[in-house]
Amino acid sequence: MKLKVKGKHVILSLVSLVLGFIMAFSYHLTDKNDTDMTMTNSQWERDIELRNQLIEQEEKNRELQQELIEKQEKVLEIEELLAQEEQVFFNLAEDAEKYRMFLGKVRVKGEGVTVTLADGQYNPNDDNINNYLVHEHHVFNVVNELYVSGATAVAINGQRLTHNSYIVCNGPVIEVDGNPHPAPFVITAIGEPEVLSSALNITGGVKDRLVSENVEFKLEVNQEIILEPILGS
Amino acid sequence: MWLPVLGLIIGIALGLLSNFSIPDEYSNYLSIAVLAALDTLFGGIRAHLQNIYDEKVFVSGFFFNIALAASLAFLGVHLGVDLYLAAVFAFGVRLFQNIAVIRRILITKWSSK
Repeated sequence: MKLKVKGKHVILSLVSLVLGFIMAFSYHLTDKNDTDMTMTNSQWERDIELRNQLIEQEEKNRELQQELIEKQEKVLEIEELLAQEEQVFFNLAEDAEKYRMFLGKVRVKGEGVTVTLADGQYNPNDDNINNYLVHEHHVFNVVNELYVSGATAVAINGQRLTHNSYIVCNGPVIEVDGNPHPAPFVITAIGEPEVLSSALNITGGVKDRLVSENVEFKLEVNQEIILEPILGS
Repeated sequence: MWLPVLGLIIGIALGLLSNFSIPDEYSNYLSIAVLAALDTLFGGIRAHLQNIYDEKVFVSGFFFNIALAASLAFLGVHLGVDLYLAAVFAFGVRLFQNIAVIRRILITKWSSK
């Protein structure tokens, strides 16, 4: 009897243990949920704080973005300035190259004309041989005419003329900058071929005058003339 | 008599001290189980007072009701029907009935003394 009572009590205690456990656990769980709810209150505050921080950050970002845009505009300005400077340098370099060409410091190439002046056929009936020779003033005339009509580079027998070149008559030869050149004289000029040839061929112009002075005048138009730079300059 | 009380205390202590948590969606099942356990407990007390108490019925009812209530709620969730409401309703009604019967029996016992 006593054993039975004890067994009954054991079962009852088991039942109560389970009951207590379930109830306590449920209570505990609900309690925890409640604390979770209170946690969300503080979380709310934190949420607001973080949101404010975020807003602050975004404002800062926007300011920085604005600054960046301004800086970029400045960079653009500087770049444009640089481009202009570059353009200036480019122009300067081009000018320098051009002036060098004019000065005969570099080889130049281009279309132009070639004028050949040769002594005329000697006529034994004529008393003065000088009437049949090419003189330095003939060469002068041609060179000046070429320069006047826009030739950018002129050479006599392959020797470039510069701004301070001189041509003198020295007996049977003429000297260009000290170098003697015999007849015939080949005068090459770079420039607009049509302009140059028409300037020389103009009626009563250089050609007619030279021909009337018994000089053989030959004019050629060349597509490409190469003039070597002046030696020792 | 002290042994069931001790069991109860140990159970409460275990429940309070246990730190593992179950997912939120299963807390429903637990509350149903609690309701079933309470219902069975009061049913047992009433049966005891009415002298028709059977230990086997009580113990099996206790565990079976808990399991049934939980599984019913589980089924309801998965079927999309709020079956746990049915369990709550049924257990709630029976709980109140049992308590009412117990009260009446106690009152008659008291007044007959």
